Amino acid sequence: MLKITAIVRNLNEISLLEPLVDAFIIPLKDFSINYESYFTLDEIKQINTEKEVFVSLNKNIHNNELDDLKKVLLELNELNINGVIFYDISVINLKIKLHLNYDMVWAQEHLTTNYSVINFWNKKGAKYTYLSSEITKEEINEISENTDSKLFLNVFGRVPLFTSRRNLVNSYIDTFRLNESKKYSIFKEEKTYPIEDTKHGTTVYTNYILNILDEINNLKIDYAVFNPYGIEEKEFISVIKNYKEGKPISFPKELGFLDKETVYKVKKNV
Amino acid sequence: MFKPELLAPAGDLERLKIALLYGADAVYLGGKFSLRANASNFTIEDIKEGVEYAHKLNKKVYVTVNIALHNEELKQIREYLESLDQIGVDAIIVSDPSIIEIAKAHTNLEIHLSTQNSSLNKEAVEFWKNEGISRVVLARETSKEEMEDIKKLDIELEVFIHGAMCASYSGRCVLSNLFTGRDANRGGCAQICRWDFDLLDENNNEIKGEKPFTFCTKDLSLLKHIPELVDLEIDSLKIEGRMRSIYYLATVVSTYRKVIDEYCNNKEKYEYNLKYEQILRRCANRDSVPQFFNGIFDKNMQYYNGRMEVSNQDFIGLILDYKDGYAKIEQRNYFKKGNKVTIFGPDEEFSFVIEEILDEEKNPIEIVRHPKQIVYVRVPKKVSVNNMMKIY
Repeated sequence: MLKITAIVRNLNEISLLEPLVDAFIIPLKDFSINYESYFTLDEIKQINTEKEVFVSLNKNIHNNELDDLKKVLLELNELNINGVIFYDISVINLKIKLHLNYDMVWAQEHLTTNYSVINFWNKKGAKYTYLSSEITKEEINEISENTDSKLFLNVFGRVPLFTSRRNLVNSYIDTFRLNESKKYSIFKEEKTYPIEDTKHGTTVYTNYILNILDEINNLKIDYAVFNPYGIEEKEFISVIKNYKEGKPISFPKELGFLDKETVYKVKKNV
Repeated sequence: MFKPELLAPAGDLERLKIALLYGADAVYLGGKFSLRANASNFTIEDIKEGVEYAHKLNKKVYVTVNIALHNEELKQIREYLESLDQIGVDAIIVSDPSIIEIAKAHTNLEIHLSTQNSSLNKEAVEFWKNEGISRVVLARETSKEEMEDIKKLDIELEVFIHGAMCASYSGRCVLSNLFTGRDANRGGCAQICRWDFDLLDENNNEIKGEKPFTFCTKDLSLLKHIPELVDLEIDSLKIEGRMRSIYYLATVVSTYRKVIDEYCNNKEKYEYNLKYEQILRRCANRDSVPQFFNGIFDKNMQYYNGRMEVSNQDFIGLILDYKDGYAKIEQRNYFKKGNKVTIFGPDEEFSFVIEEILDEEKNPIEIVRHPKQIVYVRVPKKVSVNNMMKIY
């Protein structure tokens, strides 16, 4: 059964979303990136829900963050969570070494692109994979047919395109002594892309709000992820509500790479 | 005494030979499934020739197999890995762990983990060590302090010391996919990070500096820090740039060769030679900094020059032969009689003023203006094949 999954943006939204969703993704402060909001461990402990809970630690982990990482992984083990979403391999190494109970969601963003690598991580203890948003419908379904892993996929919302350790916006503002703004975007070829600079680095998001809701029934996935980034609470909730009720939503269809194969070229016929 | 491996890129067989000749201990190259799809990628026959050439010199060849595979590529990968094993490559450099499993099951290939996997910490490196990886190429965001701690694990480490940088964490960028349809994680990167963009504020008004907004980074150079890397016993020091010219490669490789040798041969008396830095700066024609090595992140790592990289015109000829005081030269840039030039090779260099040039039929000429034109230049000393001539 497909599970509707919402990324949590504020704790008050949880009670509004609870009747509509099957699972929540909760970004952990200081250990996750590319979300609109982040929550401390204490805040996560306060969350009371019957729904499945996955805590996201999807940040690249630097060596000096390992001690704190170990502490939070141990504390999460005391909570009733279903899984930890990870990017950095240190997270699964610690999960193995510390014999932690929760499941793992392998979420190396743009690298989760074939069934063989998903099966590799399954054998290492990641029974879930968060699929890349840059693969096609056919690839997704072929993956599903060749793996036992449960599959997450972004189905609605903005998608990260670029993640850097560098503070790219602040460096520019600083270099040319410009005025700061609360929010930024970059503009190219008539399109606008949100860009965000935090203490962990810089992220650029898609110019579009992904909306593959019409295609969900044709996709062999397990968790359909709705991302509220930059969308009004009321609108976000109505998108999920309308989707559940089979009604049209107020956002245009946007398939991203679902129907577009990306290419690479090798000059010689090797 | 410990001496690190100097590892250089090879975009084709010519560059492979130049890199090894000018002092690299090993080269890395791409065939199928490599992240530099626009480099002149090697066929299996090319790789075999390169491996034989390198092994005769007691040097090594590593093959990058570092794309993020899609389902369709899974069907071809085993046969390719078996071919690499049969021709004796010294290691493969992978990022997709499914390749590790296939290589372990069907070949005896040594496996290195690509920087594409962004290994930044001890726990991640320990995981790969337990998977049978013999060497990890650290993420370019790793600082010296972090390297020192990671090095406590008993596994080989490879570190980038020179060349271009990704503006993103490696593997965490799909700008190229979106803007051009070319898959950055399958070798199609169109370097969108070097484009200019308009930066807008919350009201969509442009925030305009003296130069346009870009993600473009300065290059990396750890020339000054080679002694620290040697003291940390980093196993392999890697130069970036499989698409760079033979001149760039010869200059950069020979410069790092000299610095590594000078330090390792006499640590007590070693002194940093500013001349080497000047040679590298002039060759690359781009600013370079130590990037993340010192653990500092700031605006000085970024490049706001408002232009794309322009290669310089210093490299004027490749020496093809030498006989009776004349060097047979293939032209690479305009030169003429009266120019002061330098001829350099792996071991020596000298400068002189060109007094006589002959064309292919041995007729005197004044100017060499045609690309790849073959000429004879009278030289004051014996020169060797694959020496290079540059403007003084």
